[in-house]
Amino acid sequence: MQRRVAITGAAAITPIGHHKDEIVDSLVKGKSGVAPLREDDLLSGYIHSKVYGTIGYPIAYDFDRKYRKTMGPVSYYACQVAKEAIEAAGLDEAFLTSGRVGVAFGSTHGSPTIQREIYKNFFSRSQSRFASVGAVDYLKSMVHTTAVNITKMFGITGRVIASSTACATSSQAIGFGYETIKFGMQDAMVCGAGDEYDTTTVAVFDNLLACSTDFNATPHRTPRPFDVKRDGLVVGEGAGAVILEEYDRARKRGADILGEVIGFGCNNNGGDLILPSPRGVSEVIRLGLENARIRPDQVDVVSAHATATKMGDIIEAKAIHAIYGDLPYVTGLKGYMGHTMASCGVIEAIMTIYMMAEGFIAPTLNLEEVDERCAMIRHVTELQESPIRIASVENFAFGGVNTSILIKRFQ
Amino acid sequence: MTRSQIQGEILKIFKEEFEIENPGLDDDLRDEHEFDSIDALELLGRIEGILGSRLTQDEKKQAMDIRTINQIIDYVELMAQKRS
Repeated sequence: MQRRVAITGAAAITPIGHHKDEIVDSLVKGKSGVAPLREDDLLSGYIHSKVYGTIGYPIAYDFDRKYRKTMGPVSYYACQVAKEAIEAAGLDEAFLTSGRVGVAFGSTHGSPTIQREIYKNFFSRSQSRFASVGAVDYLKSMVHTTAVNITKMFGITGRVIASSTACATSSQAIGFGYETIKFGMQDAMVCGAGDEYDTTTVAVFDNLLACSTDFNATPHRTPRPFDVKRDGLVVGEGAGAVILEEYDRARKRGADILGEVIGFGCNNNGGDLILPSPRGVSEVIRLGLENARIRPDQVDVVSAHATATKMGDIIEAKAIHAIYGDLPYVTGLKGYMGHTMASCGVIEAIMTIYMMAEGFIAPTLNLEEVDERCAMIRHVTELQESPIRIASVENFAFGGVNTSILIKRFQ
Repeated sequence: MTRSQIQGEILKIFKEEFEIENPGLDDDLRDEHEFDSIDALELLGRIEGILGSRLTQDEKKQAMDIRTINQIIDYVELMAQKRS
């Protein structure tokens, strides 16, 4: 059995806005969500990169305590976007609790805010502080905290897939959710990821000399995917959720279909855990196309992973060119908000769906002068008013995990 | 501390910490107010505050069958007596 998979709901909390109108407005107007790194009592003083893709606006949560008590900040983000996406899709309680709906949701490493509090107690060498580690600290901070807090909030009784593959977390969540429905194991999946504000992640990339440092005084000018002056990635926060649903079911109930997932490729580089692999990246693009049963020339837009690291962008540009030539437009959406880590795949997929709906392609923000080593592909440097029929969303992660998601506009 | 004072403290905790206002003293807290094992453990931490001393593991285990506010008050009275 192979079934078609529709996207019937989407919601995102991003550094450039919360709801569709705000996000589209930022993409069209070229607004950046990168802000100065907040001072904290942990690492900010030691980090060279002083920029962060920040959620700088309040979010009106309305969760009962029975849900809040097991939620760290990352689960607040996750449950909020899941709630909005479920409501947008119009899934009713009977279906959500039927066992035919599952959740594929993750984060980079649960809730670092809660983990930090636990470690503070551990290292205090104080018996009373050790004993004060809360009963719910694990539930708030564990790697699958986002997925199971969503199941709890909506009474979802189907499968749980809690991917945690750094920057490929949410694109894997979408891909695995797609396969779960395609092969008949569930009829709908709530897919996505979240990551909360966290300076430890910045420190990791900073120590790898992979973070942007040249634009600390002008945060909105970085990251700069594919640009000759790019100097590294900018860590960000955010969350996104999409509702994937079996196509015939969605049609029958008259759902508003935002798009269709038509293919998913996933592989590993089988070697270096940090550096992207030209062979691995081009192969995952090929796998995605093969899975979707389409030719490269049928893809109108590639949402590139494009973190703005020195080597990563070159490798990705070459891999895109190897498969697509210079046919599709290529945009790097991290230019607007930095690298939202676990949630980057779903957020970039949602932005792609929004661009499909509105008929435009957002340019790669801060791409002013294309690095000649990345110049072989068709960069978007100005807003394009152009219909998108099929788009590819690419994401690559530490550990050598690569993904490619193919999304088709619903006709 | 009188029983009435303990009751006042417990009801205050339920209102402020667990967002459960004016539960019946013999309500089954799990069935009627979704008060679960996570809440019970948090409550024990607050009871330690009322008592001004830590509960032992065995004393905490004794509390695991408690279902009502009246039973909580009984438990606090018993623990206070043990410490007097």
